Amino acid sequence: MSEITLGARRPVIVRRRRWRIPVTAIPYLFLAPATLWYAAFLVYPMLQSLYVSFFDWDGLSPTMTFVGLENYINIFAVDEVARLALWNNILWTIGALALPTFFGLMLALALNRRAPASTLFRTIFYSPAVLPLVAVGLIWAWMYNPHFGVVNVTLKAVGLRSWANGWLSNYEMALPATFVTFIWSHVGFPMIFYLAGLQAISKDYYEAATIDGANAFQRFRHVTMPGLAETHVIVLSLAVINGFKVFDLVYTMTYGGPGRSTQVLGTWMYFQTFQYYHAGYGSALAWVIAAIVLVIAIPYIRRMSRG
Amino acid sequence: MMSDVRRQRRLEQTVIFLGLLALSLIWLTPFATVVLSAIRGQGDLLARGVFSLPKKIAWSNFAEAWSTGDFSIYFRNSLLLIAMKVPLGIFIAALAAYPLAKLRFRFSGAIFIFFLAGLAVPVQVTLQPLLVMMKQLGIANSLFALVPPYVAFGLPFQIFVLRGFFRLIPSELLEAARLDGASEWTAFLRVMLPLSVPALATLCIIDVLATWNEFLIALVLISAKESRTVPVGLLQFQGEYSSQYTLLMAGILISIVPVIAIFIFLQRYFVAGLTAGAVKG
Repeated sequence: MSEITLGARRPVIVRRRRWRIPVTAIPYLFLAPATLWYAAFLVYPMLQSLYVSFFDWDGLSPTMTFVGLENYINIFAVDEVARLALWNNILWTIGALALPTFFGLMLALALNRRAPASTLFRTIFYSPAVLPLVAVGLIWAWMYNPHFGVVNVTLKAVGLRSWANGWLSNYEMALPATFVTFIWSHVGFPMIFYLAGLQAISKDYYEAATIDGANAFQRFRHVTMPGLAETHVIVLSLAVINGFKVFDLVYTMTYGGPGRSTQVLGTWMYFQTFQYYHAGYGSALAWVIAAIVLVIAIPYIRRMSRG
Repeated sequence: MMSDVRRQRRLEQTVIFLGLLALSLIWLTPFATVVLSAIRGQGDLLARGVFSLPKKIAWSNFAEAWSTGDFSIYFRNSLLLIAMKVPLGIFIAALAAYPLAKLRFRFSGAIFIFFLAGLAVPVQVTLQPLLVMMKQLGIANSLFALVPPYVAFGLPFQIFVLRGFFRLIPSELLEAARLDGASEWTAFLRVMLPLSVPALATLCIIDVLATWNEFLIALVLISAKESRTVPVGLLQFQGEYSSQYTLLMAGILISIVPVIAIFIFLQRYFVAGLTAGAVKG
């Protein structure tokens, strides 16, 4: 059996073909299905939506009236709900940049120490992120139930009866209450990104810093934070991108209410297009979201395209 | 002095552990609430409160929610959709990722960025034209209407992850296959794909969860009951039984048990895949 050696090649099988695919065409043939699919069902609808945004159209009838930039002007100058929605998106995004990111970083730092049960903790903090957001919204709507919900029952039990309120039916509290749900369901994302980032920082840096007499805070400031620079770009970009895309939680928890106080661009676009049949105006709203997100995503996409 | 350092470290670890423990109990509260509300009678729940233990376990809630909520229809649809969407999408993504990772050709960088930009495209900006398109194709209101947008919106992330993974596979292996007379297609199918099973499996898991959970596209493109997926069906169920708290919570539990099970048993693969490419290898 001495003929069997590692790396031995099977005999070359030469097949004769009537015609050969030119070598230069091969990469494009591999790319063709994805490109065509992506162009037909993502890029084309996007451009179609841009086109529609310059018209007054109900989305159904054959007649469309060209109105130029009027839809866009209305968003910023006339429609108060649209401006409120934009403002709510901005508040939501600022919150998303600060809170889940900060908690996620703290959790990652705590869990990176191989503390007892750290795998179990990681599973617990990440688990809400795998649930359908519709289910998350309904679970928390029950938690916020004014009479029987966990939140008010707890507040009453610890003597804070005056804090108990309708939460999701309260004009001031509905958006913050929805945002708390968002923190619960999303803190796992920055946590696992930061954990991956922390694990990529070489232990040698920490040893060197310790030998040089750096204390824990100095090590965090001069080793951990610079080491996480790339992770910050990804985590913060995703926070903004997702902050402007938000839909499911608001739709299931408040339906944009009470009144229209919790409308965000994503839900207002949906209501305008599919409930009030203002397809042109809704498309303009959708393009406002898309433009903001695409511009903010540039550093993220550049980071992803490298390497 | 050594024991001082050790004692301080021990104290620090204990404080962190207790903090994590307290926080994780808060994090589990919503889950506990759902379970404690789902397994009892409505009267028992309202009279004694969510934090009390049920007097009697009412397993019948689940059977009742399953049948009155028509969850068998929604489960069948979501599973069918997953069976159609996941293999198709990942195969197309793998086809595209292969030349982007391993072949040299003009515009490869531009094509890659063209796909990556899709990571930032909000679903909203395609919804209305997609609805018109599906009506024209005559598949609006059917499960088939969801396959095209789901595959399209899945491609950017999947191409990104697979390209990264394919690049780690030594080109010598492909070269050896080519020297043996294998076409590029055979090299892809017989060498690249078998070596990429870990990445493909991870993407499958992530994609199954994403497809199960997707709400907005399904909400817009489907209104007929017999084509609804689980999230849309669950919301419909809530609309009809919003004050039947125990039944509603049983329905929620039914619809999240599959994703929880997948997550708990397969999380090792899953979490690694999500952060793929976020850290320099």
